[in-house]
Amino acid sequence: MTTVAHTSATTADAVPADPQIVAAIVTALCDVLGQELTDITAETRLFDDLSLDSTAVLGLLMALEDALDMEVDPESLQQHHLESVGALAGFIAESR
Amino acid sequence: MSPPLVSPVRHAPAPPAAGFLDGARRALTGTAGTPLVLLGNFEVEDEWAKGESGLPMLAGRNSAAIVNRMDEFALLLAGPDDHVVLKSAPDADYLDHLASLGVALPSVLVTDVQDPAHSVTVDALRSPRLLAALRELAGRGARLLPHGQSALEDELCERTGLASALPPSPLVKSVNSKIYSRRLATELGLPLARGWECETVGAFEEAAEEAAALCVDQGRRVGVKDAYGVSGKGIAVIDDSRRLRQLVRMVARGAAKRGDDRIALVIEEWADKTTDLNYHFTVGRDGSVRFDFVKEALTENGVHKGHRFPAQLDPGHVAAVQDASARIGARLAADGFHGVVGVDAMLTRDRGLLPLLEINARNNMSTYQTSLQERFMRPGTTALARQYELSPTARVSFARLRDRLGDLLLDPATGRGLIINNFATVNAAAPADPDGRPWTGRLYGLLLAGSTAELDALDRAVAEAVRKETNPDD
Repeated sequence: MTTVAHTSATTADAVPADPQIVAAIVTALCDVLGQELTDITAETRLFDDLSLDSTAVLGLLMALEDALDMEVDPESLQQHHLESVGALAGFIAESR
Repeated sequence: MSPPLVSPVRHAPAPPAAGFLDGARRALTGTAGTPLVLLGNFEVEDEWAKGESGLPMLAGRNSAAIVNRMDEFALLLAGPDDHVVLKSAPDADYLDHLASLGVALPSVLVTDVQDPAHSVTVDALRSPRLLAALRELAGRGARLLPHGQSALEDELCERTGLASALPPSPLVKSVNSKIYSRRLATELGLPLARGWECETVGAFEEAAEEAAALCVDQGRRVGVKDAYGVSGKGIAVIDDSRRLRQLVRMVARGAAKRGDDRIALVIEEWADKTTDLNYHFTVGRDGSVRFDFVKEALTENGVHKGHRFPAQLDPGHVAAVQDASARIGARLAADGFHGVVGVDAMLTRDRGLLPLLEINARNNMSTYQTSLQERFMRPGTTALARQYELSPTARVSFARLRDRLGDLLLDPATGRGLIINNFATVNAAAPADPDGRPWTGRLYGLLLAGSTAELDALDRAVAEAVRKETNPDD
């Protein structure tokens, strides 16, 4: 089961994460990591808490493009956008 | 306050007869007694990739911190008359432990500054005190032997007067491209997986369509690789044509935004492997080629996880990699390269050999095991190089880990047990102000045993001990 514990948590710059984007990120993470994820919040760290590796980032971005019907600008993606689910949600929101 | 620049000299018994490093020293500097300054600038590929366009790939901050502390591997490659530049002084108990095993340690030079996000070379270039010490060593005839030569090491040589044991970075970079590897395999008539070298977006688009038709739509996966990507990292493995086209569009968008059509990518059919191999040779300044060894490489999803050796290979396969070494080495020498070289290869399910997947004309992980294997492996010893992940919430001291591992550590009398060959990576990603959340640490070790079964049991026992360190309440 995929559950999103809460989606109102804030990113570092205090912008609330979009619940729809966070839900899409959680679904994409389950797909890319091949496992069910529970209790994911905006603060969940992609690399430290979920053991995402660099090779999985590309798959994650492509899955998000599908889920949210958008195109990611790879040139704009920076390391800090991948610090947490909330940070990635912020990047996606800016890219849409 | 800056850390001490030079560690106390630790004397240990004389090293064994000349082995890999002394051979490389002679081949790369021309003389047997040249002192070397070793520099563990791991993932030098990131420097080579600057100005090149490939896949949008990013790793986490902690991953970079761990990679940058892999500099400590150089400590166990260097000889007692050599010098090693490190981002911080090794744990004193770790040094004592190594000395107690009879390892003759080099002198250690520490950078004035240590930024976890920076390679040892970047820190070194920002270290006036260290640069002065390197100038002094240059005056005494020392040579720099980096993990790999990039523009940063060129700059370090210029600013210190140290001559490098390797050629200048543009040449070294050129022979490390996966495009160079594929073209060389073709030129030498070595078997290689079906693939395409792509240097423009247009070529990538065409190659992707061919790869979709010939491979992906036939149920075979392809790997899209950055020409200068770190082994196992700059790869997207694709099993769906729609995803392949999506990736092409993403790369094309990036190129359009940059206003530059040039890219450096390879598409390759993903071979059905049984065993990954890493073989290693040294190309001398005089063009001579010395075959060093072949090991089984352990990978998970293409990412390096360790080695097992001696490799269990048919004599025919050993002869084939030795022959490939001679031919690839000769070609590298003809292109002006000298240095240590590792080649990734694989055995396919039909027991075929793909002898040249990629050339890594830099130190390999396997390079850093050589001094330990020469010292501690005996006839009948089997070895496993492994890494163990930790999730500590507080810094782990070597003494604590040593006590936790207890008699799993190498017993020099029996030649069996675990040798920790990098401890700095355990705490590399520790936050300045721990907040109670775990971080990722990594312990590297070389395990020696008398049989495969004994080795696997030792591996499981070490993994369990390390897991307990991560979960100290167990």
